[in-house]
Amino acid sequence: MSAIALLFLVAGLGLIGWLTARVRATRFRAGSTARFSSLPAHHGWYVALWTAIPPLVFLVIWSVTSPALVTDAVLATPAAIQLPPPGFDRASILSEARSLAEGQSFGAFHGLAQTLAPSYAAAQSRYDWIATALALLLAFAGGAFAFTRVKPGFGARTQIERVVMLALLGASLIAILTTVGIVASLLYESVRFFSVVPITDFLFGTHWSPQVIDARDPGASLGAVPLFWGTFFIGAVIAMIVAIPFGLMSAIYLTQYAKPTTRKWMKPILEMLAGVPTVVYGYFAALTVAPAVRDLAVSIGISWASSESALAAGLVMGIMIIPFVSSMADDSIAAVPSSMRDGSLAMGATSSETIRRVLLPAALPGVVGGVLLAVSRAIGETMIVVMAASGVATLTLNPFASTTTVTKQIVDLLTGEAEFDSPKTLAAFALGLTLFVVTLLLNIVALRVVKRYREAYD
Amino acid sequence: MTDTLVPSLPTSGAEPVRRVPTDWTTQAMQSRIRRRYASERRFRFAGLAAVWMSAAFLAFLLVSMLSQGASGFVETRVALPVDLAAAKLPISPSRLVGRGADLALAGAGLEGTVLAAASTAYGKDGANLLSDGAWAVVRDAIKADPSLLQRRAVFEVPVSSPIDVAAKGVGTNEAEAIYARLTARGVLSRGFNTGFLTSADSTDATRVGIWGAFKGSLLTMAVTLLLAFPIGVLSALYLEEYAPKNRWTDLIEVSINNLAAVPSIIFGLLGLAVFLGTFGMPRSAPIVGGLTLALMTMPVIVIAGRNAIKAVPPSIRDAALGVGASPVQVVFHHVLPLALPGILTGTIIGMARALGETAPLLMIGMRAFIAAPPSGLNDPATVLPVQIFLWSDQVSRGFVEKTSAAIIVLLVFLLAMNGVAIYLRNRFETRW
Repeated sequence: MSAIALLFLVAGLGLIGWLTARVRATRFRAGSTARFSSLPAHHGWYVALWTAIPPLVFLVIWSVTSPALVTDAVLATPAAIQLPPPGFDRASILSEARSLAEGQSFGAFHGLAQTLAPSYAAAQSRYDWIATALALLLAFAGGAFAFTRVKPGFGARTQIERVVMLALLGASLIAILTTVGIVASLLYESVRFFSVVPITDFLFGTHWSPQVIDARDPGASLGAVPLFWGTFFIGAVIAMIVAIPFGLMSAIYLTQYAKPTTRKWMKPILEMLAGVPTVVYGYFAALTVAPAVRDLAVSIGISWASSESALAAGLVMGIMIIPFVSSMADDSIAAVPSSMRDGSLAMGATSSETIRRVLLPAALPGVVGGVLLAVSRAIGETMIVVMAASGVATLTLNPFASTTTVTKQIVDLLTGEAEFDSPKTLAAFALGLTLFVVTLLLNIVALRVVKRYREAYD
Repeated sequence: MTDTLVPSLPTSGAEPVRRVPTDWTTQAMQSRIRRRYASERRFRFAGLAAVWMSAAFLAFLLVSMLSQGASGFVETRVALPVDLAAAKLPISPSRLVGRGADLALAGAGLEGTVLAAASTAYGKDGANLLSDGAWAVVRDAIKADPSLLQRRAVFEVPVSSPIDVAAKGVGTNEAEAIYARLTARGVLSRGFNTGFLTSADSTDATRVGIWGAFKGSLLTMAVTLLLAFPIGVLSALYLEEYAPKNRWTDLIEVSINNLAAVPSIIFGLLGLAVFLGTFGMPRSAPIVGGLTLALMTMPVIVIAGRNAIKAVPPSIRDAALGVGASPVQVVFHHVLPLALPGILTGTIIGMARALGETAPLLMIGMRAFIAAPPSGLNDPATVLPVQIFLWSDQVSRGFVEKTSAAIIVLLVFLLAMNGVAIYLRNRFETRW
């Protein structure tokens, strides 16, 4: 029986349990005037959960363990004596036999796989029947046990609510699991990387060329300083030169000057800039902005200007970040007490003087926090730089020169043809760890700044 | 600020300071006011300019995509007379029904017949005029009407990519010349490229379609939604309604807030190391893409959900508790239904972000060339944004308009999702 059919069967049994228990509970409630702790539906859910959860748990455990059991059964057959000793060949013959048995492929490379396939299919179907029988047995046993407890005095509601609370707690623990997963996987691969390449070479080396790695001294061509500089230059300098003035000024205009109707229309339009997928920005940067920037550079006399310049990627990234800066600035200006603004206006200051001398200084910590968050988003941005920035790592201050970033290198390193354990692919995880740590620190600092500033006015 | 216009009160017995009120009519004062007002106007104009420039960036982006991509939905066709009766294809009409028809026609040498017909009609280079998919058009016509095999007929077949590009005005000189020749003969026509919406990736720009990538996106999004929505809503309910104030709760909150700010590529690294490396799940599969994006979308839903739940006034909870509801009943019967519009808005916005996401999916191998739409969650697949990325890397000129056309499709979907979110917010938002 297929897994889907079995799941439906279990769900159907659960439904039957729900209905019968509910009918029974309704019946014993009907004849009495006593107060009950649980509604009929609670009893229904109690039985349904007891019917469905044990077989589901069993099936999950079974799906992990049964392949090994099936393989053991195949290995016990006489034909399996001809198998080579454990190793790559043996595994490949077995997996071929399995795909033959499941009907996924029709021809076999190894003759032995062909002979093993029938016994594979037989073992598979035998274990499938065992699983079905056990699952149904568990469903009936659980359902029957729960059904006997459906009595007037039984607190089904407290039981159900306990399960609900467990589910809620379990769901919120997934966030911690994800964080732990990220940190653990990045750390594990990075530690392997740093056992090959000294951490000082990686953090302070100024030469990055992963295409040619000297096996005797891999650290010599894996110095990440040019990447850090390129990331900082594109994400924190060029992009912010675009995003801060535009974002701040549009926030000021929309909150202080614009009519409510203008604000109502323009704010969503600006937010659309943040909703455009980054791959679209990347395409726009590579196809339209980058050639324009190069032509501009050539026309002002820089004949060697790259068509994959830092400026093109940074400009487009800045445009993408505008709504982010704008909404952060909007929030922090709105948090300044209106008495300060009113006081300044009452003294005869013009609106712009009030904004520049009173509102902005008062909102500055919030704005700075917002800019830090924007920087953290910009340096983690991938597609724009993958499509518009170059792969050549250079330490340069010239915006028309080609620079590369951490994210671009992660993509380049991991989408190549290299095997999974080479220093090249491991370097991507070390870069990922660096990126993770830096964005995390930026976020913590930014949130702390914003929070302290909010407290000052509360 | 010290020289106020109001005379200060005699406080320490000293003589009250006499102050002359400012004479605003003097030349100096007038010019000073003019300067201040001019600076006010300049500042205001700068703000207005910033808003309009930002909107102009958006307009420029959209217009340039539209103008480049519109032609991607159009294909150029050439009239091709094929004498199928003379070709005597070794095929019986009985095999032209059902699923075997494609295979039967391909095996019968139809492709060669079509190419030969092109050489007869347009000279010895005639075969180069046709798209690789030209014979498929003839095949589909025969499937629809088997009597075509007994006579000579004229088919409108798509032209090859260089001619198609030339027809849209940016071709090479050679292709332009051929295009001019064909136009003079009056055999060219244009039509809506239905193949673009129904087929998958290909190496020939005239044959590519987005259906394969779109189906991959649908499968991936289904996995993402099925995982991220329940987990996100349950976590939000727990944190907002039940969580005790202790270290664990703080840890959960910090994790969620940090996950929302982690760069998306890091989730790709997680998927690569954990789902592909540790669990050994299949590369390029929608299930892995969906899992990875679900981890990324879940914090967004939690944060939106918490805000929506927080907005439900405590009086609702108190009233429900007052008539005897248990804490779980209060939340699931009263708070959750009232918060649901807000949660759904946040979910749609999170899903729109996931739909446009590229980088994490590159990490888990969804960048392979996939010429057939995926048929299940474990099949190799690609998604719409990754398809855009792959096409943007192609050198062939014909792919430029296809890339922009795919971008238009993606943007239409994102705009529709955001529109639904805004509608939900406006329609169901309650001010308590």
